[in-house]
Amino acid sequence: MTRTFDILSKVGDEGAFRQEIRDWLAVSMPKNWRSEWQGLENETLKPKMIDWLEERRKVGLATPHWPKEWGGPGLPFGYQIIVYEELTRADAPELHMYMVSLFQTPATLFEHGSPAQKEKYLSGITHGTDIWCQGFSEPGAGSDLAALRTSARREGDHYVVNGQKIWSSGAINAQFCLLLARTEQNVKRKHEGISYFIMDMKAPGVEVRPIRSITGEQEFCEIFMDDVKIPAENLIGAEGDGWNIAQSTLSAERGLLIFGGTERLARSFERDRVDGKDSWMRDPQLRREYAAFHAELQVIRLLIRKLLKELEANPDKASSTLPTFIKLTWGPFLQRYTEFLVRAEGLQAHKWKAPIPATAHTSRIKFIDFLKSYAWTIAGGSNEIMRNIIAERYLGLPR
Amino acid sequence: MSDTIDLDFLDESFAEMLSSEWPRERSVAHAQSGNLIAADLWSQMAGLGWTALNVPEEFGGLGLGIEATSRLHAALGAVSAPVPMLGTTMAAALIAHAGSDRQRKAWLPALADGSMRFGFAQPSGAQLTIENSSVSGIAADILDAPSATHFVLNGRREGKRSWIVLAADSPGLSVEVHPLNDTSRTLGSVNFSQVTLAEDAIISAPDCQRVVDLLEHWSCIALASDSLGIGEAVLNLTIEYLNVREQFGKVIGSFQALKHRVADHKTALVGAREFLAHVASLDPGDPAGLIEALSSKAHITRVAAEVARDCIQLHGGVGFTAEFQPHVFLKRAKLNEALYLTRNEALDRVADLLEAA
Repeated sequence: MTRTFDILSKVGDEGAFRQEIRDWLAVSMPKNWRSEWQGLENETLKPKMIDWLEERRKVGLATPHWPKEWGGPGLPFGYQIIVYEELTRADAPELHMYMVSLFQTPATLFEHGSPAQKEKYLSGITHGTDIWCQGFSEPGAGSDLAALRTSARREGDHYVVNGQKIWSSGAINAQFCLLLARTEQNVKRKHEGISYFIMDMKAPGVEVRPIRSITGEQEFCEIFMDDVKIPAENLIGAEGDGWNIAQSTLSAERGLLIFGGTERLARSFERDRVDGKDSWMRDPQLRREYAAFHAELQVIRLLIRKLLKELEANPDKASSTLPTFIKLTWGPFLQRYTEFLVRAEGLQAHKWKAPIPATAHTSRIKFIDFLKSYAWTIAGGSNEIMRNIIAERYLGLPR
Repeated sequence: MSDTIDLDFLDESFAEMLSSEWPRERSVAHAQSGNLIAADLWSQMAGLGWTALNVPEEFGGLGLGIEATSRLHAALGAVSAPVPMLGTTMAAALIAHAGSDRQRKAWLPALADGSMRFGFAQPSGAQLTIENSSVSGIAADILDAPSATHFVLNGRREGKRSWIVLAADSPGLSVEVHPLNDTSRTLGSVNFSQVTLAEDAIISAPDCQRVVDLLEHWSCIALASDSLGIGEAVLNLTIEYLNVREQFGKVIGSFQALKHRVADHKTALVGAREFLAHVASLDPGDPAGLIEALSSKAHITRVAAEVARDCIQLHGGVGFTAEFQPHVFLKRAKLNEALYLTRNEALDRVADLLEAA
């Protein structure tokens, strides 16, 4: 018989809180999910992910890092960390279809959304199963995002949108899209004249085409918009203020997200050594190469913990240079470590296996984890953009 | 005192003194002077109590811990100071931890006031056999031996690990100097020809391996700190240069090919700094910390050596001249990589400890 769990009532006693999460996970986590979810995506995966979200919702942990005002549990920061530590420890599946819903959407709406928008859309995440996607990049506007050309023309009580978006993770599953479009064509600086909308993905004229990635999965999508009507009430903030608002979205609190990723990798790092003990760990040079990654793993974990402490002390986080250094540390490290494992495993790593969703970068299918590492070196500001920011903004080198 | 010390304040006072007393010109000039150490700089440091940092207060020291000592070594690396501080740090750690009362009284005050300078053998290095209180043989490649007034060398008596502490002018003892590419430190081999040891010249401990681990921990932190200082300093001076050197009508720092390398170096150093701060906060007496200490030595000395290597390239032609400072840093950074434990030795130890965990 399963008992009922009351995790949130344990706040105030870290040990009891942690134990309650462990007990809950032991009975509520999807069984054998790694093998059962292997090879699933989109329509076949979605119900499993929703089940897991509902399971988390029952104990108030659908949105563990959300404050009370957003309909979250309002956990103190230290307790949010415990939640993510325990989810990682138990190897719980990641709610990757809900990444934008859980992180980017609230970061945007809470700061810039109207009361009506917050009421309507945040509750769709806290009480519903709304999946959101982000429509920022375009074929001609990647690193140079402000060059975007999708247009939104005001006509009475709505806007008419035409254009094309790309790299929208999970758009094929999404109900709503955080959309950037140009409302003013003749501007002095290209950052001006951009507006921010909520687009209903079911609206006529919206067409989504999944893009198969190098891992064989269909996570990215293209979104085509042909005379799509968006009600004027779906404009976030003021017309033309989209670029500023987008900064909130992009700086969405990803500390906990990367924290989960590095802690998962730390556990995987231990298992890699055990798995390799009768093979590559017997090769002196590979063994040394492996040992050298211990320092790099510690570096990234310490940098993240420092960021979390900074965020706890000052949630406005505007001045910190740390997220950029973390991004340029984590992505390349992850790529070199996963590449190392492919090399260490030799031919075995080249035998194809179906990807396992919801594992972040620790599916333990070495070649796929390696390929996926590019997500961190290209998406969300490529390594090269991070280097420009560090050199120009932090080190003062001229443009 | 150690619980109230403000480490950042310590950093400031180290940097302030060194920037005025050991500016770039002196660093570059020293490299060609043939001097073993900067004797005047050493006296000033001693006068300010820097040689007394990790000596217990009851023996004339400041009684500070490994965190403060780490800051000192980072400051010394940042100016590539030609002083034998590593020997002082290590000898103080050993004698305070494992010395008898008589040994502490005899050596610690003189260590604290800078009058004794130690050449200190690699903690896990070769051992001299002590037979009937007499030693013959060679302690090869001892850091700072040519400028040392005293040595701490690894000994073995009746099959048991011990440490030999004695004066450089002891009868039967001679030093063969090995000139180094890094002129900010010195190296020599110590020859023993039937040297008689007084009983007080030998330190032994009930749990020798614990002492070896402790010393290894201290040496890793000191060398990693020195290298962090080197890496940050050489990158800073390179950024300065990129901001003034012009080619093709613009400052070369505006070229993306150079900017991106500098950004990578900065990122590696930001991570190294965070790692070192964490490792230096661990208790050197706690065996669980050794893996982190060894790991930080391998990682940070490598990061700094790579940054210094590229900084010569980023300087272009002037980086290849003895008149500019980058070569001083490169040579010191490369030596730190090899000192006490080579990278492979350190990584083998890290792998051993990971597997044992």
